[in-house]
Amino acid sequence: MIIRQFTLRQGRCVIRRNAARQWKRCLASPADSIHQSLQNQLQETRAIESEVNQYSIHHVQTIDAETHAPVETDSIAEDFQELLRQQKVTGSLGTEVAKHYQPHTLISNPPRPSDVTLELLLASQAHLGHNTSLWNPANARYIFGVHDGIHIISLDVTAAYLRRAAKVVSAVAERGGLILFVGTRNGQDRCVVRAAGLAGGCHLFERWTPGSITNGLQILGKCRLKVVNEFDEEIPGFDSQLADRPPLKPDLVVCLNPLENYIMLHECGLNNIPTIGIIDTDANPTWVTYPIPANDDSLRCVQVIAGVLGRAGQEGQAARREAAARNHITYAPAENLKAPQRDTRSKENGDVHADALDAEARQVSRHT
Amino acid sequence: MKGYESLHSFYSPLRISTRPISRRRCFQGPRHTRPFSSSTRAAIAAPEIQFDGDASGRASLLQRARIVPASPSYFTAKPEFTDSLLNLQALLRKYEALPVLAPGHAPRVAWKTHAQFMLTSTEPVRVARYSRILKVLHRLNYIHPSLMPEEVAEAMQVYKRDVNPYDKVKQPVIIDQSGRARGLGRRKTSSAVAWVVEGDGEVMVNGKSLSQAFGRIHDRESAIWPLKVTDRVDRYNIWALVKGGGTTGQAEAMTLAVANGLMVHEPDLKPTLRRAGCVTRDARMVERKKHGKLKARKMPAWVKR
Repeated sequence: MIIRQFTLRQGRCVIRRNAARQWKRCLASPADSIHQSLQNQLQETRAIESEVNQYSIHHVQTIDAETHAPVETDSIAEDFQELLRQQKVTGSLGTEVAKHYQPHTLISNPPRPSDVTLELLLASQAHLGHNTSLWNPANARYIFGVHDGIHIISLDVTAAYLRRAAKVVSAVAERGGLILFVGTRNGQDRCVVRAAGLAGGCHLFERWTPGSITNGLQILGKCRLKVVNEFDEEIPGFDSQLADRPPLKPDLVVCLNPLENYIMLHECGLNNIPTIGIIDTDANPTWVTYPIPANDDSLRCVQVIAGVLGRAGQEGQAARREAAARNHITYAPAENLKAPQRDTRSKENGDVHADALDAEARQVSRHT
Repeated sequence: MKGYESLHSFYSPLRISTRPISRRRCFQGPRHTRPFSSSTRAAIAAPEIQFDGDASGRASLLQRARIVPASPSYFTAKPEFTDSLLNLQALLRKYEALPVLAPGHAPRVAWKTHAQFMLTSTEPVRVARYSRILKVLHRLNYIHPSLMPEEVAEAMQVYKRDVNPYDKVKQPVIIDQSGRARGLGRRKTSSAVAWVVEGDGEVMVNGKSLSQAFGRIHDRESAIWPLKVTDRVDRYNIWALVKGGGTTGQAEAMTLAVANGLMVHEPDLKPTLRRAGCVTRDARMVERKKHGKLKARKMPAWVKR
């Protein structure tokens, strides 16, 4: 091979090729010659490559065509289905994994108020406070002691206050109150949304717009309201009346990070709205109506507390619906609502009741 | 009368506060004299008794009606936007484990810009908030097309522009029945269209001959430079329309137009034409004048105080 390359570069053919090129150059225009020289170069390179390739080993035999054959798969979709199938078949094999902390379960299946134990709170780091120099002396009664320079929160107090707050949430939900869950720190969004979903309330995981309560007409004026019956089914036909009504205010606010939401808590105070808040050792417990002394910097602890309060709200809503099924209304009805007017065609028929009433009666008859 | 009594009991606070709930004993929260209501919070007298309840003792509709927010995102002041963001995030969590395409190989999609989105939305949404939605959409777009769930495709469709510019395929230029190839060129503010036909070297610019159209010899040379550099001046006829800008711009716009037409006839000339500078559009435009300067960069004369 070496001899061959040597010949190509140094032998007679080199002279011959040069002669041919000179002969063409006499005839070509300048643009042609540029183009031609490029073509020639490419051809030369290819010729040399093909010469070299003749002597190299082209094909490497596989070790064993049958044992090392590639898996026959046509597409990604089929591969994925195969993966799912294999997971289903082999997923139950192997050892039994002992019970352990799975972070997603705090969202998917949050603990109930009855599940609140000191062990759960300790495991979720609810007892860790702040550096002793950062403390707020008003929290002295919630503090168990000092360890490694930080305050340790008394977990029995935490559990008691958490249970009390759960009862507040549950009672407000049972009386048809509007509960707002607020957690504006990074990572708190999912537990806030989940808790609000369970408790049938509202959620806020981004910045509180200052004035949402005290200046609600400007800020929440365009947000849609609806009228529901005792089974939370929407009753149509009230849109024109709802447009003129003042915006809603929450009946209870649960704040997972009171330190960053002073303005909101202040607005709640101005409007006599009760608040529940996680109070760490550096927070002021007088900002909220029902403090829960716990570690607000631990996402796990915040998820436990939000989950417990969400479950409490869920119980309250269930109790309210159950009472409604027994013909017992646990809340005061909306004031100043008028029965929606029928359209002209039905007025001609002389029917007194509105469409909405008929539709609603049909819904109720389904329930009973 | 039976109906009257039962109705009365629904609205008396006494009935609610004395309900035998066992946990009520331990809960000593604030004692409200009346149950919560989502409407005004001012204390009022007991409501009137309504007699139009049905025969079974159920209260009338208006006495069971409650006003609640239409969306749980009510207090965010952007309920529709927040709900759609949460829906997209939930979709992403649901289908996170599906196989994805290699980085950079997702189908190119023109998402609605913030301004376009705001045309469809009634709520004031900031750019940063909208970019959170776009981030989720980009990730959803990476799901392998063969496994793309229907609901994800529908959710993404809302944020796609009506016309996807990346679907457009450039039509190849062809020589028409009369043997003409059309080329388009631009330079500065001028634009030129040239029809290149096989012929014997005639050039018409806006109905005039080359020497009438361009006074400077340099401009005449620029206009047919692609033919000169490939030594094809006497083989093609050119009929061009030029407009806008000055003579230099028009001549150099023609360079590009003629080169484009010529490349339709002889695609192999492209490397040669590129080396001669006839393929690339010169993107330079007039630099704007700045305040404090006489022209774009010229400074006023320096005067000693």
